Amino acid sequence: MLTKELVAASTVPLVLSVLTEGENYGYALIQRVRELSGGKIEWTEGMLYPVLHWMEKEDLIESEWREAETGRKRKYYRLRKEGRKALKEEKEQWLTVHETLATLWKTSLSLT
Amino acid sequence: MVNRPRNSGNFMENVSQFDLNASLGLWLERLAQAPHFRNENVAEMESHVRDSMTKLQSQGLSEEESFLVAIRRVGTVGKLEPEFAKVNRSPWNMIIHGVILAFFSVGCWILWALLQVPWMLIRMLSDAPPLPAFTRLLMGCSPFLVVPPLLALVYCLYALNKKSDVRPSWRRFLAATVGAILLLAFPIIVAVLLYFVE
Repeated sequence: MLTKELVAASTVPLVLSVLTEGENYGYALIQRVRELSGGKIEWTEGMLYPVLHWMEKEDLIESEWREAETGRKRKYYRLRKEGRKALKEEKEQWLTVHETLATLWKTSLSLT
Repeated sequence: MVNRPRNSGNFMENVSQFDLNASLGLWLERLAQAPHFRNENVAEMESHVRDSMTKLQSQGLSEEESFLVAIRRVGTVGKLEPEFAKVNRSPWNMIIHGVILAFFSVGCWILWALLQVPWMLIRMLSDAPPLPAFTRLLMGCSPFLVVPPLLALVYCLYALNKKSDVRPSWRRFLAATVGAILLLAFPIIVAVLLYFVE
């Protein structure tokens, strides 16, 4: 399981990345992340919505209430141009961290 | 029959007693009462819980069990409220703080002006009686009436820049300023009246 801090830090890039697959609603976003992480990333489900609303305010995503196939109304979120830009930056930052750690750990592994 | 659990009758009763709409309605009402939950947020939470329940029921959970698991996964109101407060901040709270501050400053200025009345009378009338000691004392302190509005201004600036999730309520600020005005007005009115009585 991931730490609370890491889960919080990765929420925005995760949501942006899942939304590149196409528009989606809150519950499905959570399910998708759970499925992709093999259950290792567990969000307190209600906590996702304030993040989604913040992302909407920042123009990263946009939303729309629509009737789903079940007949109930759902709020669907989709990526905006600003969101794609933000995702690109996030990707660079996370890859930098990943590569740095991978290099360090490779070095330390070869030393031990 | 022998092996039948003693409370199975009660259990069946409980199952039949569960009313999803009533339970969900009650839970949503609790969310709606939280100050930073908007109607749209509550509607989205309902949609989420229903989606979650559908999935849980497809995994074999009863309606009641799926409801309980779904709302537990969403999180408690106490936990969600500060997060929603971060995105649902209304500018009205600060606007009302500003209006209260303006009225409070005017109130303090009126009290200061009131304290100048005996002094003006003394200057205008040659046979005006001397000022009572209490009136003189308060008149001497009148420049300090600028302090309460300044303190209120500092408080408003603090409230405006507060990093905390929940900003101070304007109701408390209103209560504090009204209380302060009444506390200041009482001795000042007494001091002015004392002059006229004497």
